[in-house]
Amino acid sequence: MSKSKQKEEVKSYNVLIVDDNEQITKMLTTFLELKEHKCTVANDGREGLAAIKENKYDVVLLDLAMPEFDGYAVIKDLEDNDLLKEHKIIVFTASTITQEELDELVNRGVTSYVLKPIDIDQLLAKIIETADS
Amino acid sequence: MLSFNVTVSMTITETVEEGMFQTENPINELNRMLVRYDLTPNQAKVYLFLSKIGIKTASEIAKALKLPRTETYHLLSTLQQKGIIFSVFGKPTKFNAVGIEESLEILINNEKNRISELESGKEAITRLWNVIPKYSESNSDDQENKFQSLQGRNSILVKLEQMVKESKENILVLGTELDFKRFYYTEFTDLLNKTKSDLKILTDLSPEESHVFEDIPVKKIKKIEDKNREDFCFIIKDNSEVIFFISNKEVKDMLAVWTDSKAFVTTLRSLFSLMWKKSHHIDETDAESILGSEITYEHRLREIEQEKMILNYLQENFQLLENNGGIRK
Repeated sequence: MSKSKQKEEVKSYNVLIVDDNEQITKMLTTFLELKEHKCTVANDGREGLAAIKENKYDVVLLDLAMPEFDGYAVIKDLEDNDLLKEHKIIVFTASTITQEELDELVNRGVTSYVLKPIDIDQLLAKIIETADS
Repeated sequence: MLSFNVTVSMTITETVEEGMFQTENPINELNRMLVRYDLTPNQAKVYLFLSKIGIKTASEIAKALKLPRTETYHLLSTLQQKGIIFSVFGKPTKFNAVGIEESLEILINNEKNRISELESGKEAITRLWNVIPKYSESNSDDQENKFQSLQGRNSILVKLEQMVKESKENILVLGTELDFKRFYYTEFTDLLNKTKSDLKILTDLSPEESHVFEDIPVKKIKKIEDKNREDFCFIIKDNSEVIFFISNKEVKDMLAVWTDSKAFVTTLRSLFSLMWKKSHHIDETDAESILGSEITYEHRLREIEQEKMILNYLQENFQLLENNGGIRK
C-alpha cells in the first residue's frame, strides 16, 4: 500500500473535550492532535454546553463530576431541548457510578461511556468507533 | 336483690366510663385521631362512646355526651350512612357501633372511593372550565409576584408535592432532619427520590441518622456546616418558586410561605449555593473534602491514573521523536 493511500485512510475527527481537569484536557489534546484529530476544550459544563450548541463535533468527551454545572446538567439541558440524541456524546468519568446509572444515561440518549482510567489506545478506538457510528 | 345490685354496679361503671367522654383523657386523643378519618369531632365522640359503652338510645347518648338532642340525631344518621354504627330495631331505636378495626377499614375505603370519584371528576371539570371564556381585564395577575400563606401540614404538603412534580431543572432543599421528619412516609419524600431534576439537599443529617432521606443517593446530600443556618428551612423549585417555613411558637400548626417572587427565589438560591459550597457530603472524610466537595479521594486517584496513562504514552512518543526524528502515529 502506498504512503498516499495510507494517508487517505486516516480520518480526522472534530472532538470536544469537556473536563475540568486541565492536566487531562491538555495531554489528551496533544495526544489527539498527534493522531491528527482536531480538539476543542471546555473546562466546565456551561462552556461545554455552549460549544455543543454552537458547533458541530464528531464526538464529545464529557466528564460528569465538574463543579457548579456538571456533566449531568449538560446531559439534562440537551435532553430537555431534544438535542441529546443529535450529538455523539461519550461520558468520560472517574466518578463512582453503577452500571445501572450508566445504562440509564445511554437509554436517555448518551452514545457511550468510558471509565477513567482507560488505556489511551482503547480511548482512541472508542472515539473513532463512536464518530464512525 | 341480685338484679338491683347488678343494676347499681352497671350504673356506676357507666357513669365513670361516660365521664371519660367529657373530660380531658386519652380517649380525647383517640377522638382527635379519628378526625383525620373524615369524622367531625362530635361524630368521633359519638362513635367512640358507642364502641366503648355499647348499645344506647339517642337520648342516652345526647345526655351522656352533653350534646343537643337534634344534633345527636344528625350525628347518628351520618355515622349510619358512613357505615360505622347501626341501629337496633325496637322502641325507642337503639344504636351500636361497628368494631374499631372494621370501622377504620370502612372509613379508609370511604376516603379512597371519594378520592377516586374526585379524580374521575377532574377531567370533566377541566373540560367544562376550558369551555368558559376567560374575561380578564388585564394580565397584570400573571406578571405580579404572588405570595401565598400556607397553614397546616396538609396544605404545605400539597404545595410541596406540586412543586416537585412540576420541577424541570433542580430542587434545592434546606432544613434539619426534624423539619423533614414531618413529611416522612408521604408522597413528598417519594417524589424527591424519583425526581429527574438535579436534587441537592442540605441538612443536619449524620450517616447514622439519615432515615428521612435514606433512599436518596448520598452524593445529593450535604451536611449543614453553618450552625447559625440550622433554623432555616426552605425548598426551591428551579429558578421559579420557593416555600420557606416560618417558626411561630404561638401557632400550633405548621406555617409556610410560598412565593414565585424572582427576588426571593434568587436570594435564597444564592444563599443555598454559598452553603452548598461550604458544606461536605455526609459520607465524606476530611481528607476527601480537602480535594473538593464534589470529588472523592477515589475519584481523584482514578483521574491521576488517567493522567499518568496519557503522559506515559506521550513520553514514549516524544522519545521516539527524539531518537528517530519523527513521531509514531
